[in-house]
Amino acid sequence: MDLSLILEVSDLTVGPVTPGSAPILDHISLRLNTSDIFGIYGESGAGKTILSRALANWLPESLEYRVGLIAFAGHDILKPGTQEVRTGRDIAYIGSKPQSSLDPTVPVGSQIAEKLHSVRPEWNRRECRERVMQLLSEVRIPSPRERYWDYPSKFSGGMMQRAMIVDAICAEPAVLIADNVTQPLDVTIAAQIVALLHDLCLRHRMATIYLSSSLPTLGQFGDRTAILHRGRFIEQQAFGELLAAPKMDYTRKAIASVPRMWSTADGPAVRRQAQGEMPLMQVQQVYRTYRARKRGTFNSYSNVQAVRGVTLDIMPRENFGIVGESGCGKSTLTRLLAWLEVPDQGSILLNGTSLGGLSRGDLIRKRNEFQLLLQDPYNALPPRTTVGRMIEESLLIRGKVPRVELRRRVIAAMAEVGLAPELYDQLPNALSTGERQRISIARALILDPKLLILDETLSALDQREQGRLIDLFSKLQEKNDLTYVFISHDLAMVRKVCTRIAVMYLGEMVEIADNRELFYDPQHPYTKALLSAAPTLEDKRFNPSDFLLEGEPPSPIDIPAGCSFASRCPKAFGRCRVETPDLIEHSPGRLVACHLLDSGEVKAAA
Amino acid sequence: MLILEFLVKRIAQGLLIVFITSLIIFTLLRVVPGDPVRLIVGGMAPPDVVEKVATKMGLRDPIIVQYGRYMRGLLQGDLGQSYLRPRSGMIATGGQYIDPTKSDMAPVIDLILERLPFTLQLGGMALLFALLISFPIGIAGGLHQHGWQNALAFGVQSLFVSIPNFWLAIVLILFLSVKLKLLPALGYQGFSYVLLPALVLSVEIAPFIIRTLTTSLGEVMQANFIDEARVRGLSRRRIVYSHALRNAAVPLVNLLGIQLSTLIGGVLVIEYIFDYPGLGNLTVVSVVGRDFPVIQGIAITTSAVFVFINIIVDLVAYTIDPRVEI
Amino acid sequence: MAVTTIVGAEPEQKAAEVQSVNRRILLGAWRMANFRIGFFIFVALLLASAIYPEFSSVSATKMIVKDKFLPPLFLGDKWVWEHPLGTDQLGRDMLMRSLIGLQYSLLVGVITVVLIFIIGCGLGLFAGFKGKWWDTLIMRVTDAQLSIPMIILAITILGVSRPTVATIIIVLALSGWPLYARVARSAAVAERGKEYVRGLRVLGAGDWRILLLFAAPNILPPIAFVAVLDVARMMIFEAILGFLGLGIQPPTPSFGSIIADSRKYLLNAWWIATIPGIFLAVALTSINLMGSALEKARNRIYGGL
Repeated sequence: MDLSLILEVSDLTVGPVTPGSAPILDHISLRLNTSDIFGIYGESGAGKTILSRALANWLPESLEYRVGLIAFAGHDILKPGTQEVRTGRDIAYIGSKPQSSLDPTVPVGSQIAEKLHSVRPEWNRRECRERVMQLLSEVRIPSPRERYWDYPSKFSGGMMQRAMIVDAICAEPAVLIADNVTQPLDVTIAAQIVALLHDLCLRHRMATIYLSSSLPTLGQFGDRTAILHRGRFIEQQAFGELLAAPKMDYTRKAIASVPRMWSTADGPAVRRQAQGEMPLMQVQQVYRTYRARKRGTFNSYSNVQAVRGVTLDIMPRENFGIVGESGCGKSTLTRLLAWLEVPDQGSILLNGTSLGGLSRGDLIRKRNEFQLLLQDPYNALPPRTTVGRMIEESLLIRGKVPRVELRRRVIAAMAEVGLAPELYDQLPNALSTGERQRISIARALILDPKLLILDETLSALDQREQGRLIDLFSKLQEKNDLTYVFISHDLAMVRKVCTRIAVMYLGEMVEIADNRELFYDPQHPYTKALLSAAPTLEDKRFNPSDFLLEGEPPSPIDIPAGCSFASRCPKAFGRCRVETPDLIEHSPGRLVACHLLDSGEVKAAA
Repeated sequence: MLILEFLVKRIAQGLLIVFITSLIIFTLLRVVPGDPVRLIVGGMAPPDVVEKVATKMGLRDPIIVQYGRYMRGLLQGDLGQSYLRPRSGMIATGGQYIDPTKSDMAPVIDLILERLPFTLQLGGMALLFALLISFPIGIAGGLHQHGWQNALAFGVQSLFVSIPNFWLAIVLILFLSVKLKLLPALGYQGFSYVLLPALVLSVEIAPFIIRTLTTSLGEVMQANFIDEARVRGLSRRRIVYSHALRNAAVPLVNLLGIQLSTLIGGVLVIEYIFDYPGLGNLTVVSVVGRDFPVIQGIAITTSAVFVFINIIVDLVAYTIDPRVEI
Repeated sequence: MAVTTIVGAEPEQKAAEVQSVNRRILLGAWRMANFRIGFFIFVALLLASAIYPEFSSVSATKMIVKDKFLPPLFLGDKWVWEHPLGTDQLGRDMLMRSLIGLQYSLLVGVITVVLIFIIGCGLGLFAGFKGKWWDTLIMRVTDAQLSIPMIILAITILGVSRPTVATIIIVLALSGWPLYARVARSAAVAERGKEYVRGLRVLGAGDWRILLLFAAPNILPPIAFVAVLDVARMMIFEAILGFLGLGIQPPTPSFGSIIADSRKYLLNAWWIATIPGIFLAVALTSINLMGSALEKARNRIYGGL
């Protein structure tokens, strides 16, 4: 292993151009050898992106280098006019926004080849093109020769990030800076990218600096890690030692704040069950397909099958969780459950009444019983409206209410969710994310619902706010006899809160089970992959490398016959590609859709 | 395939638009007061002569019938014949009575085809001048959003858009043509006669190009991919000209499509002032003389040109940016 | 945003939006020197055209042939104080004629824009929000209307009947509304997809309620700001119509007709053509300065959010 020093940073200080302002990076020093992988942990706002940009000699105009030296193989990269070191050729950067990193009007492959030719003019254009195509296949983009000519909008997030990796490494840089590269990606895709990056760095012998706001992701690399806090490196050790014996308080707190899935006994309270209970909401064989006109033909349409035959029952006072990655159809299902869209087939019953059969007036009345809370509290509330007016709207839609009565009921709802009555006439501009979510909750609660559907409602919050809102939810559940449906991609949150969980993949439910059973004894291969990829610091119950998935889910337009997971399943066999497995109750309370569970097949596959 | 579908769809829509336009103009002419027959036979003619001529010309039939007749002719490529101009080319004025049903009147299609090239030449030169003026100013203004270049672009654009075109024409004729004798003004006797009108017209078009260019270039330069292109190793020249300008061009191309209407209006006035022998000139004279067939013919031609150019514009936009809806 | 939101967590940045967006746009425009210059000039002209004709005894239409062709102040040798900007070929005072022409110009410009805004945005919002065949219908109508250039429409309608202020306004409004309908429609379509609309639907609100109470107050102000520019555009059209003889009829002064008449006297009395043009150009420049500044401020504020 080549241990020569490739990048040396000494006392790097960066700050805004205005004189006298406080520095953003303060005396950062590090030494990087060839083949090293150096991890940097920083919360958002700690200066991670600025550090990554500073190292690449790419500061925005509002910032400047104040003190310090960055030496690449002995050459000072900050000296103007340096020919020995060029960003793009010797030092490469991969960012966290792959979708907006390339010109949307030029094919992806052409742009990478353009970059390659710019930084290595000694290679002619044909050579550059060949090299790019070869690298595209190395990062496992299917059909690389065709995808070379595709435009950025045709690439999914994971694919685009792979393309950006190609863009970074094609010129054979000696140093690679990866800034939060997996943040926008789904869990299983992120796991793939991290493994891919690790592999490439070792194979191409690139020194890598990997910055992330997720400690578990850094753990996957395992080497020397630094903690960035308020612009300074407060600690620097090998990752394993960092976890075992953190020196600084801040590090200890950061480690503690990573949610735990496996080593905790925490779980939701057991549901009060009544005898002979009817389900509160019944979803029966619901289908929803979108028709999009195919470009390039006269009148043919592609069918996007977003939800395919979902059946489930939600019992009263339950916390039902629905988890899945992007593209699985959970957003569409959410809209169906909230009756914002009508299913093409199948029906949804609330307390025995089918929602499809209701007249307009009856529907508005029935809406009192089930409400939806949205994810983004900034966009979910109407602009330029006071807090009180927003909550009043729920009542005003249903008819005139005398002013005094209106005000009283709104203040009562605000009190229930913990909003001070003074906020009634104020605009929500100064409120925090958590407080804004409370406004959403208040305007739903004022209708006295029985069922609340939460669409990623807790995803935008930090741990503390999340905790507070979860407490509020339990309190309200006790008091008002509420039932919750949580739709989320955050497995740790779901583990803490939900009593029963359904796993969704490509429009179908693949497994439904109780909390403990799902997490400790999952039956479906996709569930196992999902759980193994979920980032935590603990010893994983399922080893990621055993369950690493290949590629991406098939497009919902072109769903292959048989089990939709077969194309990526490590345990797929003949029957899987022909026959779609049904969601069968293999043991009481556990539904799984997998051929492996038919006892005969288990023996055959083993 | 996509392009083929696009063309078929748009041409079909275009035909519909031309059809509706011709119907609107056709009806308007016959509904709004002002009898062409009166103008032809002269103010002195007795009412029964007027009626006789009008009936022979078919102007007393119901509008639908008249329109049907017109459409039938149109499908055979016949746009009718002028009410005022005989084939020999001289216009009949109020005093002289030329019975349009008897003598051989100039076919409208000939009149239009004779003048269309002049108007197209004027429009083309004006566009060229406008682009030559606007691009340097617009690009400089777009790249330096807070510098003097932007203020200059802003100032130039505000100034140009505030000058009435006819006034500018008069002033320029006064100075460049009469006093300084640099460029010829009225009529057409050679290519140099198109320059002054084109210049005036270009001052009318330029401000919109400058404005769109500075705004959209400014926006594009803020985009993430432009910023990131720097760290990927692309040179500034390449970033601006191969990527930023390309992205900024799409709103510009769309703008040209929309501005077309204004352009046509400007051409009309300019031709009138400069006595330039184009379609605009023909239009003014025909409307004043209530020469229905010519007016209708011009309306159809204008519509068709409009549709055609919009199709080209959309196609160009798609070539630049494949996300464009076509 | 690419470059400046690196420091500081994202949610805090949005919470700092204290003032209403519209007020910020107005303030942002006010801060630009261009806007202030334009504003003051415009107010000055407005006051001049409103007040001066009331107080001066000079007539704009009475012909005093002995006073014809008097040059403006300090130019030539026959100027008088009574006619600071000279007289025309019939001895009428240029200053008075210009100011009255300006009155009519502004009148036509402002009323037309208000009409266009109401009709265009009304139809556009409706088309965008309701969608489906309402949308298609209204958009096809705008296409057809757009393919008839204003001039042709004007010549056809005004060319034969005696044009009045009302008919001029109608013709201009007819040619101008499609653009606003398009803009309002695309804004409505964008608004329809926003999260808060979904939130309101879940509560049970109907389309009309959401459109009128929440979407329209969000969509209309940015369009209104840019509508200022169109006042200038309409004023130019009015002048063009006047020039072609299709505008306000003489002896009432209008910029276009004054300039059209003046062509004959270009060589010996050039001020008859130039003075009204200058008035018009200055008025238009001031409006354009204000309108462009508003547009710039709007783009900046909306782009930064």
